[in-house]
Amino acid sequence: MNGTPMLALSGVGKSFGGVQAVSDLSFGIERGAVAGLMGPNGAGKTTVINLITGLLAADAGRIVLDGHDLAGLAPQDIASRGIGRTYQNVRLFSGMTSLEQVVAGGFLRRGTSMLASFFGTPSARAAMRRTREEAMALLDRVGMADRAHSLAEALSYGEQRRIEIARALGARPKLLLLDEPTAGMNAAESQVIGRLLHELRDAGLTILMVEHNIRLVSDFCDHVAVMSFGRKLTEGSPAACLAHPEVQEAYFGRKRASSSESESHAVRSRPHG
Amino acid sequence: MMQKLLDLWAAYESTLAFAAVNAFFALSTYAVMATGILSFATVAFAAVGGFLGAQLMGQFGLPLWLVLPASAAGGCVASLVVSFVFLRLESHWLALASLALILITRILVLNAPMLTGGVNGLSVPIEAPLWLLLGLLAVVALAFWRLSVSWYGIAARAVREDPAVAGSLGIAPRRVQRMAFAVSGALGGLGGVLLAMTLQFLSPETYYINISFTMIAAVVLGGSYHWMGAIVGALVFTALPQIMQALVPQVQDLARGVALLLIMILLPRGLVDPRAWRIRRALREARR
Repeated sequence: MNGTPMLALSGVGKSFGGVQAVSDLSFGIERGAVAGLMGPNGAGKTTVINLITGLLAADAGRIVLDGHDLAGLAPQDIASRGIGRTYQNVRLFSGMTSLEQVVAGGFLRRGTSMLASFFGTPSARAAMRRTREEAMALLDRVGMADRAHSLAEALSYGEQRRIEIARALGARPKLLLLDEPTAGMNAAESQVIGRLLHELRDAGLTILMVEHNIRLVSDFCDHVAVMSFGRKLTEGSPAACLAHPEVQEAYFGRKRASSSESESHAVRSRPHG
Repeated sequence: MMQKLLDLWAAYESTLAFAAVNAFFALSTYAVMATGILSFATVAFAAVGGFLGAQLMGQFGLPLWLVLPASAAGGCVASLVVSFVFLRLESHWLALASLALILITRILVLNAPMLTGGVNGLSVPIEAPLWLLLGLLAVVALAFWRLSVSWYGIAARAVREDPAVAGSLGIAPRRVQRMAFAVSGALGGLGGVLLAMTLQFLSPETYYINISFTMIAAVVLGGSYHWMGAIVGALVFTALPQIMQALVPQVQDLARGVALLLIMILLPRGLVDPRAWRIRRALREARR
C-alpha cells in the first residue's frame, strides 16, 4: 500500500432526521485493490456507497477520487468519472434482455452522439455494433453469454447479480462498488464471484465490496474496513480485522468472542438480522 | 345491417382523419410516458400549436409548409417552459399539475380573444387532406422507430425503469425527460394544428379534458411500452365508437369504457406489448 489512494473518504458524516447513519468516517481504497467494507446490519455500509455515488449528499467531510472532490456532483457525473456500482437488492431494468442491460451500461462509452444514432449514420451503427460486441464479451466474462437474450425476470437471483456486475462494467469504471454481491448465493456461487473479482482486479480494476460473508472477505479482500453504528471500528488486513476484539463483539456478540475461528467462519451472514 | 355497414364505409374517411389526429396526441403522451412521466400537458401544447397555426393561416395567410413547422415549434417551446417547472415535481404531482395546466389553458383561451377568438371561436381556412395526415403520421412513426433504436431510446427505457440506476450508469434522467418533453411538445403542437384543420373551427372547448381522456386511453389501450401501441390505440379508440354507433347504437357510449376496462384487466400492458413478444419468442426457442 503506497502512494495516494484512488478513493479517499475523510471525516464523512451523514444523518437522517437526527439518526447519525455515518459519522466521522475516514478510509482509503488503494489503486488495484479489492477492498472490503464490513459491519453488522444497520452499520451504515450502504449509506457509504450511496454517498460515494452521489445518491446522497454528505453532511460533513470530503470524498476525493483521484484528487478530485466529488462534493455536489450528480450521480451521472460521478459515474462519468469512473465509479460503477451494483445494488444490495438487485435492480435490473424490467423488460430488458441481459444483453440490453449491459448495452445500456455502455451509455458513457457509446462513442457517438444521440443525433447520429437517431439518423443511423455508418459511424453510429459501427459504434453500436462495437458496444454490443463488448457487452457480449462482458456477459461471457461473468459466465452469462448463453443467457444474453433472456429477460432479467427469467433469471435466477445469482444470475441477476452477475448481469448487474456486467452492466456496471459496461461503463468501464476504474472503481467498482459492490453492495453485497453474494447475498442469497450458496458457498460455491460466492467463490465464483470472488474469483471473478480477482480476475477483474488483475485486469486493473479497483473494487470496494460491502459484504456480510466473512469467508468471502477473508478469502478475497486485500484490505478491510469494519463499521459499526456508523463509525469505523478498525481497518487493515482481513485476518487482523477479524481478530480485533471489537469486531468479534460486533459480529458474534460478547459470549461468542472467544469461540474458535472455524466456528466463526461457519457464521455466514447477517448475524444480527 | 347492410345499409349500416355502407354508412360506416362512407364515414371512414373522417374517422380515419380523427384517428390520425388522435394518434399524434397519443404519441405525444407516449413520448413522455416512455421516460416514466404521466402527463396530460399535450392538450396545452395542442392549444398553442392549434391557435398559432390558425392565426398564421387566417391572419397572415401563411402556406401550409410554414404553418405546420411553426405550430410544432410553438408546442415545443411551450413544452420546454412547462418542463422546466414540471420536472421539479414528483410523479403524481406532475400528473396533477398537467391537469391543472389544461384548466388554465382554457381560461387563457377564453380571456385572450385577440389571439384565440375567445368565446366566439376561430374559423380555420384550410382543411387538412387525409393524405397529409397519414403522410405526416408515417414520418412521425419513422422518427419514433429511429428514436426507439437510438441511444436516446436506450437511455429513455433505463430512465423509465429506474431513474436512480440510470444515473449510476451515467444517464442524466432529467435531461432525457426534458428531451422527451420537447418531442411531446412538438408533436402536441403539430396534432393541435392538424385537429384545427380537420374541424376547421376552434372554440375554447376544442382543447380540453376530452382530448386528454382520449389520448391517455389510446396509450393505455394500445400499449405504453411501444410507439406502435399509441397508433394502434388511437385507431381502435377512435373507430370503436363509430363502429358501435353503426351496429348497436344503444350501447355506443358504454363501448369505449367497457373496452378500456376489459383491456386493462386482460392485457394490462396494452394491445402492443414487446415484453409479451419476447417471452413468447423465448418459450419457442426453449421448446426447440
